[in-house]
Amino acid sequence: MYDIKPLEEQWKAYHRKKRRPFYFIIIFSLFLFAGIYFLMNNKDTALEVLQSSPKQKNDTLKKHKSSVELIINHSLDQLEINEVEVSKKQMNPTEVIEDIPILEEEETSDIKRVKPIAKKKKSVRKKMHLNIIETSNVSAYKDVEKRFYQSHDIDDALFLAKAYFRKGDYKKAEYWALQTNKVNKNIDESWIIFVKSKVKQGRKNEAISILESYVQKSHSKEAKNLLSKLKK
Amino acid sequence: MKSRYEAAKNVFIDSIDTDDYIELDSSVTAYKQLQHSIDKPLKMILLFGKPGTGKSILLNRVAEKLKHQKEIYYFDTPATSEKEFFHKLFKVLTGQDLPKNTEVNFSALVNYCKGLRGKRELIILLDEAQMYGPDMMEKIRLLSDSRTVKFIVSLHKTEDEDLIAKEHFQSRIWEVIELHNATKEDQAAYIHKKLLKKNLFEIANSLKEKEMKLIHTFTKGNYRECNKLLFTLFEICEYYDTNEPSKINYERIPKRIIEMAAIKLGYIDV
Repeated sequence: MYDIKPLEEQWKAYHRKKRRPFYFIIIFSLFLFAGIYFLMNNKDTALEVLQSSPKQKNDTLKKHKSSVELIINHSLDQLEINEVEVSKKQMNPTEVIEDIPILEEEETSDIKRVKPIAKKKKSVRKKMHLNIIETSNVSAYKDVEKRFYQSHDIDDALFLAKAYFRKGDYKKAEYWALQTNKVNKNIDESWIIFVKSKVKQGRKNEAISILESYVQKSHSKEAKNLLSKLKK
Repeated sequence: MKSRYEAAKNVFIDSIDTDDYIELDSSVTAYKQLQHSIDKPLKMILLFGKPGTGKSILLNRVAEKLKHQKEIYYFDTPATSEKEFFHKLFKVLTGQDLPKNTEVNFSALVNYCKGLRGKRELIILLDEAQMYGPDMMEKIRLLSDSRTVKFIVSLHKTEDEDLIAKEHFQSRIWEVIELHNATKEDQAAYIHKKLLKKNLFEIANSLKEKEMKLIHTFTKGNYRECNKLLFTLFEICEYYDTNEPSKINYERIPKRIIEMAAIKLGYIDV
């Protein structure tokens, strides 16, 4: 066979050509892993989104424990968390402690207390308890209302319902409880605020009939208790 | 010193010798189908498939197997002219040679065939019938109408034309048998059996499943292409065995050599 050497050269060229995609894949994979490794190392210094747990809402007033303060860093436009020891004695009686989810995008200029904070590294999506100082400034509620209309976040609507109910503005409390129910029909708390607001406005019969139909669908204990109280 | 691969190379020289016939599942099926069709009272049978699918060797096999049972004649090469064809047919019918300058009277030939009806039944195997023109095929059809002569016609199935659609076949062909390229398993069996028939057991063993798969990829199961590739493959092995034994692995044919053979035959475009 006289042409074996040229044939061998042709085969080598073919073999190199065939291997090319594998080399590209290997190089690409190396760059990808290097990139992921680099991102993983720098991830801990980034700010995280936190959420508070609604179940522990009632315990915050009673227990003496470390709580965190929500502070908004304007320059970074991010939320940073600082662990602060708070004792019962130091708490101002006018303060309202509330567990609400930490909101990432909006900031309110009406937060009174702003302290320099120490950065702390935490894992993302961990629920924390927050001390929120209530303000009489109406624009703060307007901001939350505006946010709700954009995002339809039920936590905002529920917060407004509860806030207005506490303030004694039962008409607005009823409205915001209704907005919450429109987004999610299964939240006991919003139904209870809705019914109570109606009762406070003198529409007891209407409140009872609404509560009766809710109890039939949900079989909620709290709703049943309220219903029995209203019927007395 | 002769290389062991020289014998292997010669196994794959393309031929239609019945000694080289390999029984595979697909070829056994085709043979039985053809035999069954011959027994039916049909005028014409069409055997078609791509070049290299085994039509010629199948016809040869049929002729060999049935020559003692029936009057069967194999016209392997198409006649260059009508005159040559009818001279051949005249000899088959009468057993006599016509003088070279004599023209055959076609009508007389047809009448003669009709006269033999019920007394004799001849089976004519026409290979490469795509070489015959439409006029020729029309005359063949008329002869088949006499019921004395039955034609089995073998044709190429090309990419560009669908021969079944041609008018002079549509109402004439009563049976159509199509041959296909071999499956991966059939081709592997074909290669192994061919080598084992010549007692090349070690060489047959040196072609494993992966190598068979690669060969099938290049040849697409075509028997002729397979013969060409294997011939070239063993030609390269023969060279290395004689001149550079370090480049050959006797236990397993290197994939590299198969690829080299494929490059040489143009299956791989470098």
